Amino acid sequence: MDDLDRTIHEPARLRILTILSGVDAADFNFLLNTASLTKGNLSSHMDRLEKAGYVSVEKSFKGRMPHTKFSITEEGASALKKYWEGLDAIRAMQDQGDNSA
Amino acid sequence: MSSKKRYQPGDPRLIVLWARRYAQSRTISFLVQWVFIVIMVLVIGLAAGLTQIAHEQHRMGLFTLSIGAMVLSALIMLWFSMSRWSSDLIFSITNWLYGREGYASWTGSSGKEGSLPLWTTGLSGGLLAYHLLGALLISFNYMPIGLLQPWSALYMTPYLIIMVLYQQLGFWAWIWPILYGIHGVLLYFGVPLRFGREYELLNIVVPIFGYGLIAILTGHIYSRYALLKLKTLTRNAIPDREETQDEEAEEVQAGDQGHG
Repeated sequence: MDDLDRTIHEPARLRILTILSGVDAADFNFLLNTASLTKGNLSSHMDRLEKAGYVSVEKSFKGRMPHTKFSITEEGASALKKYWEGLDAIRAMQDQGDNSA
Repeated sequence: MSSKKRYQPGDPRLIVLWARRYAQSRTISFLVQWVFIVIMVLVIGLAAGLTQIAHEQHRMGLFTLSIGAMVLSALIMLWFSMSRWSSDLIFSITNWLYGREGYASWTGSSGKEGSLPLWTTGLSGGLLAYHLLGALLISFNYMPIGLLQPWSALYMTPYLIIMVLYQQLGFWAWIWPILYGIHGVLLYFGVPLRFGREYELLNIVVPIFGYGLIAILTGHIYSRYALLKLKTLTRNAIPDREETQDEEAEEVQAGDQGHG
C-alpha cells in the first residue's frame, strides 16, 4: 500500500485524474458535475494535482468569456497507469492469500 | 487506457471509457456542419432548379441572376466556414446548451481542438464546388435534376465518413453518411422513394436534413446516457473514504469555506 502514490490515492483526485485521462481537456464545471465535488474541494484538489505536475491548466478567452481548461499531463497519465498497476498487484496478492487460506 | 482492454463492470477504469464516449457524443460541431450542409444544398438546389427553368425558357436575365446567386452563396459559405465566426458560434451554442454540465473534448488522433486543418477546409471547398458543378450540369441539361441526390451522395458520403473518422465521433455520426449513401443508391436504381416532379428539390433536401437530424438526435440522447453512466460510475467505483479526515481533508475543507 505504501507504494501507491498518495497524491492519486485520495478518492477525489483519483476521480479527477481518471476522468481527465478519458478526454483531451475538460473545464471546471464538467469536473464539478462528474466528480461530485464542491467548488472549494475541486479547486484545492486541482491545485494539488497541478503542483504535482499531473494536470495542466490552460486559460483563454472565447469572445469575452474566460475559459479554463484542464488536461492530464504525460506525467499524470504515467503516474495514474502506475497507480492502477500497483492496485492490481495488491488485489492479486490479496486474492492469492484468500485462495491459499 | 486501451479501449480493447476488458474490465469488470464497476471497475473505476471504465470511467475513462465513458468520459470519452460522452465527449465523442457532444453534437454541437456536428450540428453546425449539418446546418451548413443543409443550407448549401438548399441554396444550390433551388438555384439549379431556377437556372434550369431559365435556360429552358431562354430567359437570360433570370439565368445569369441564378448562376450569380449560386456562386455568391457558395463563396459566402466558404468564407463563413473558414472564418473565426464559425468556431466562436460553435462555442457560444455549446455554452448555451451545455454550459451547466461543462465542457469536455476529445479530438482523438487529430490531437488539436478548435480550427480544423487546411486539408479539411479543402475537402469542404471541394464539397461546395462539386455541388455547384452538379447544379450547373442540371442548369445546362447535361444531367436530370432527379440525379442530384445520387450525384451529391457520391461526394457527400465519403466526405462525411472522412470527417467522422478524423473527428473520432461516436457510432451515431455514421448514421448520416450511411443512410444518405444508401438513399442515393436506391434513388439511382429507381426504388420508389421519390417526391413528385413539382417537389424535385425535396429529393435531396429531405434525406440530407432527415438523416442528419436522426444522427444528431441519436448522438444527443447517447450523450445524456453516457453522462449518466459517467456520473454513476464515478460515484460508485471510487467512493469517498471515511479516513480522508486527515490534514489533506482539513486543507480541502478550509478551501471550501474560502469559496463558500
